[in-house]
Amino acid sequence: MNTPADDKRLEENAKALFDDSVARLDAATLSKLNQSRQVAVAELADDSPARHWLRWMPATGVATATLVAIVVLRGPAPTDVPIASDPTITDFEILMGEDALEMIEELEFYSWISIADLESADNVG
Amino acid sequence: MNAGAGVFAVSCSREQTTGAQALQRERQLNQFLAEVERRALRIAEIAVRDHDEALDLVQNAMIKLARNYVDRPSKEWTPLFYRILQNGIRDWHRRQFVRNKVMVFFGRGSRAEPDYDPIAAAPDPAGRTPDETLQAGQAIDKLELAIGNLPTRQREAFMLRMFEGLDVASTATAMGCSQGSVKTHYSRAVHTLREALGEHW
Repeated sequence: MNTPADDKRLEENAKALFDDSVARLDAATLSKLNQSRQVAVAELADDSPARHWLRWMPATGVATATLVAIVVLRGPAPTDVPIASDPTITDFEILMGEDALEMIEELEFYSWISIADLESADNVG
Repeated sequence: MNAGAGVFAVSCSREQTTGAQALQRERQLNQFLAEVERRALRIAEIAVRDHDEALDLVQNAMIKLARNYVDRPSKEWTPLFYRILQNGIRDWHRRQFVRNKVMVFFGRGSRAEPDYDPIAAAPDPAGRTPDETLQAGQAIDKLELAIGNLPTRQREAFMLRMFEGLDVASTATAMGCSQGSVKTHYSRAVHTLREALGEHW
């Protein structure tokens, strides 16, 4: 069973050994630590606005790439001009309309009038 | 005209104040880092058992503190610095774990023992006899080995509380956990170390 005094002795021994090892750090190590510290302090001196922008460069690059990918995947924006698949829908709407039956009954008339239009256009040309 | 000169004078004065503040901040940071760097290096060395890796970890912690937290009050720097360092050490252990897995997969062992170091073998600057130096060296080696074998959180709590001398609140900030957890980890660490080091400790 460990007593608080035992724990205290262990802590004191450990602290003393650690402090001793810190004091015995060699000159080469201290020199490297000093260089590291100077590099860190130089970070403050080099705190220019351009550096702030450089820090955002990776994020900006990723955002741009994402935007380009979205644009490419979605394709061009839809326009008001009817596209090739629309006639099917338009024909369907015409057939389902109220005038559909009348149109079917007078199909010969519509056929004749379209031929007449074409002929008159040829004559004019 | 006078108004323009006044604005220019205020602008110059503000720049001088800002420059003086920046200089003051650099001095404060330099002083702080000089105070903690040696103990931080030894703590990192015990945690990763590699001198060069420990130096890199300390330098990274210094740079991250300077970049991200130097505007915080200087009394917060110590726990912040050690939090960065401990995160770096944890990341290092994760990378080593993956690296060792890969090495084992390809049939290679862990890293070879370091070569003979003439600086480490140089005479003791404190003037102790070789026997005394040897005994102290063996004792610290044994202690470092025992601390290195502790679970991560226990090791962090013990080194921050005992070696760096942080109080419970600062240790909790550095470890990113509650003060109760710090006390538990520390108590368990002392118990484990006592069992590992034997009665003569």
